[in-house]
Amino acid sequence: MAGLELLSDQGFRIDGRRPHELRKIQCRLGVFNQADGSAYIEQGNTKVLAAVYGPHEIRGSRSKVLHDKVLVNCQYSMATFSTGERKRRPRGDRKSQEMTMHLQQTFDAAIQTSLYPRSQIDIFVEVLQSDGGNYCASVNASTLALIDAGIALRDYVCACSSSFVNDTPLTDINYLEESSGSPEIIAATLPKSEQIVFLEMNGRLHEDNLSRVTDMAVKGCKDIHDILDQVVRDHVSEVSTVHGWEN
Amino acid sequence: MPTDSRRLTGPEETKSPYAYVKQKKKLQVLTGKRHDGRSPETLRPIFLKADVVSQARGSAYIEQDNTKVMCAVYGPREVGRKEDFSMKGIINCVFKYATFSCRYRRSYQQDSEEKDMSVQLLDALEPAVCMHKFPKAQVDIYVTVLQNDGSALAAAITCASVALANAGVDMYDLVAGCSVRIADNLVLVDPTESEEYKSQDDNPVNHGSVTLGYMPSLYQVSAITSKGEIEFEVIKKAINLCGNTSQTLYPVLQKCLNNSRFSLSLRFSLSLVRYHFCVQF
Amino acid sequence: MVDVQLSDAEKVFILHGVQDNCREDGRGCEDYRHLEIETSVMSNTNGSARVRLANTDILVGVKAELGTPSPEKLNKGRIEFFVDCSANATPEFEGRGGEDLATDISNMLYRAYDCPNCFDLQQLCVIPDQQCWILYVDILLLECGGNLFDATSLAVKAALFNTSIPTVTVTKDEGVVDLEISDDPYDVQRLDMKSSPCIVTLSKVGHSHVVDASQKEECCTLARLIMGVTEKGTITALKKEGSGSLDPTSIEDMMETGRRVGESLNKCLMDALAEEERQGTKKKSLGFLR
Repeated sequence: MAGLELLSDQGFRIDGRRPHELRKIQCRLGVFNQADGSAYIEQGNTKVLAAVYGPHEIRGSRSKVLHDKVLVNCQYSMATFSTGERKRRPRGDRKSQEMTMHLQQTFDAAIQTSLYPRSQIDIFVEVLQSDGGNYCASVNASTLALIDAGIALRDYVCACSSSFVNDTPLTDINYLEESSGSPEIIAATLPKSEQIVFLEMNGRLHEDNLSRVTDMAVKGCKDIHDILDQVVRDHVSEVSTVHGWEN
Repeated sequence: MPTDSRRLTGPEETKSPYAYVKQKKKLQVLTGKRHDGRSPETLRPIFLKADVVSQARGSAYIEQDNTKVMCAVYGPREVGRKEDFSMKGIINCVFKYATFSCRYRRSYQQDSEEKDMSVQLLDALEPAVCMHKFPKAQVDIYVTVLQNDGSALAAAITCASVALANAGVDMYDLVAGCSVRIADNLVLVDPTESEEYKSQDDNPVNHGSVTLGYMPSLYQVSAITSKGEIEFEVIKKAINLCGNTSQTLYPVLQKCLNNSRFSLSLRFSLSLVRYHFCVQF
Repeated sequence: MVDVQLSDAEKVFILHGVQDNCREDGRGCEDYRHLEIETSVMSNTNGSARVRLANTDILVGVKAELGTPSPEKLNKGRIEFFVDCSANATPEFEGRGGEDLATDISNMLYRAYDCPNCFDLQQLCVIPDQQCWILYVDILLLECGGNLFDATSLAVKAALFNTSIPTVTVTKDEGVVDLEISDDPYDVQRLDMKSSPCIVTLSKVGHSHVVDASQKEECCTLARLIMGVTEKGTITALKKEGSGSLDPTSIEDMMETGRRVGESLNKCLMDALAEEERQGTKKKSLGFLR
């Protein structure tokens, strides 16, 4: 996209951030009562709701039962009004199906699946407003929802994207930066154990720069982890105060 | 919605020329009599016959002048889908306008209006059927409007209830359908297509339609729907009128079933004869 | 429908309570539960609203697009309702599980808004016969706690009230029609929602009827009367739902209640919306981060 300066000479991005800065993250656990766990996250203008049901008995056909581990079932859908142009269908298109699969793979790796054999965990993600980094926000929201549901995880799963413009890696890119045609790396990590559970790259990027950009994404994940961890701790202390569990 | 790719459909952009024809603004009745010479409170002549589809368990056909509706009932049969076990039966209703039945061509797929009609039809019939008599089973009701000249839903309700009775499904009562068109202070029973309420004409308040499903021997209303903005007192009056008119339909339904019972018993005895033959040879 | 399982004893408890005009949560038969409304919650829509009626959570976004009018209504715009039952509400809605409920709700909304006096489609006309605004009203059902129809209609009315459509200037230059859409956020056109309907659902529980039934009460009812009511007390749509039948006299009673409740509901909603509008940007928007 010509004429659009993704990184100014002074080192500022379109939305005024520095290259290594994340967007503002606000989140809340336990948004809904009916779900076993739920969470809402805002990363800049990207807003995502996640709900977790389970572990429960397998719904539908019995043939889906896994005898040694839990079946992780995801559904990713976007509200029809979430994008700039109205979407015709909230789910079922190629892109959401791919996203559903990616989420499933990510959480299959992060949940301690062997603890819940012959059961099912549902993760439903609803994107209310999309401004880039839908996958990242979905993963972060789902992690919080899973924690809210009390499901055993190996670690937090945090996801962050990064790009590469003017020889500078950018972290947590927004929609404009995403659609500008510059390369994009999306990583989901288990920050404590420094393991990558999901890594995707789009666009063209020189091999020499790959590790710099990946490191930026992984660094972003760690920063997000700190924020999420704080939110969870606050939430737990609030809940325990309400229930009088402090002493 | 996936469309049926095997059928050749016309280009998406075509519009029927009728859509651009200027409609007559005023209802004829406001300027005198109704266009078919009826008074506001009279129904059109009804022809009703049960047992018209030989393959179905029960069926019925109704004509209200030019509105022609056919209904076939299958079942009770085992629930096809893997649904939760239920002690009550399930009724499955499909309402469909034949492609050629209306002013405009209808598509083969059910559109949203037809889906809405299916739900309304189901709501009208469900209270009349003894659902607990066929646990784990479902009854399928297929209603096809062959020609639509107004009051199709009312005709469909009447027709489907007769078909259900004809199929030998246990029922508390028959359901008679009746619809009225409200135009200012006039209430027209059994409106034709040209008299029906259409939202595109700029109608002021008190223009609309009401359709009622009524169980004549229980004095209960099984379905009620309305369209258009109507004042409270007027809609009350319309509902009462609908109820009373439905009551007058009851003998017609009974007579129709009585006639069909004769043919039913005949068919039954024939099949017995056939059975005897099988045993002998 | 999202159902809760109730034993016979629990049903009898609710039934007796309703008989004595005291429901399981202490309300009377004509009382609504606590209702929260917030408008302008989604920034990339022309109008949006979120309604939380006790447990029921509904988010509505309105997007306006330019399109061609349908041949029957050449000098009018269009309004399209789309309901999406999110699986967040219940796992039963996964995939296409919520479609039946969604079409039920959208059909009822179509019917309630389908009269020229309650929503003037002529205000959506840009160039007669050629261009008009199409309003896509997208309803997202996030949590089901009973009384979905009423909550949806309230959210829809609030979102449409909140909707601002950019002003379009039409210039004709040598037969070439040129449309200029203003991008000034204050140069907008608002919709007149004064006489739009709200939906009121009356559930028959035992011999009485209640408004705003909770999920448990919906379990105890066999027949519901759903009606669209305007501020003037006229009825724009009527529908009976459920597997039970109703006595003609009780229908009259229910309609009477529905009209009374609907009138005040409309009034309360418009007051609340006007109040929120008055606060303007001073109001702190919270959305889901309450």
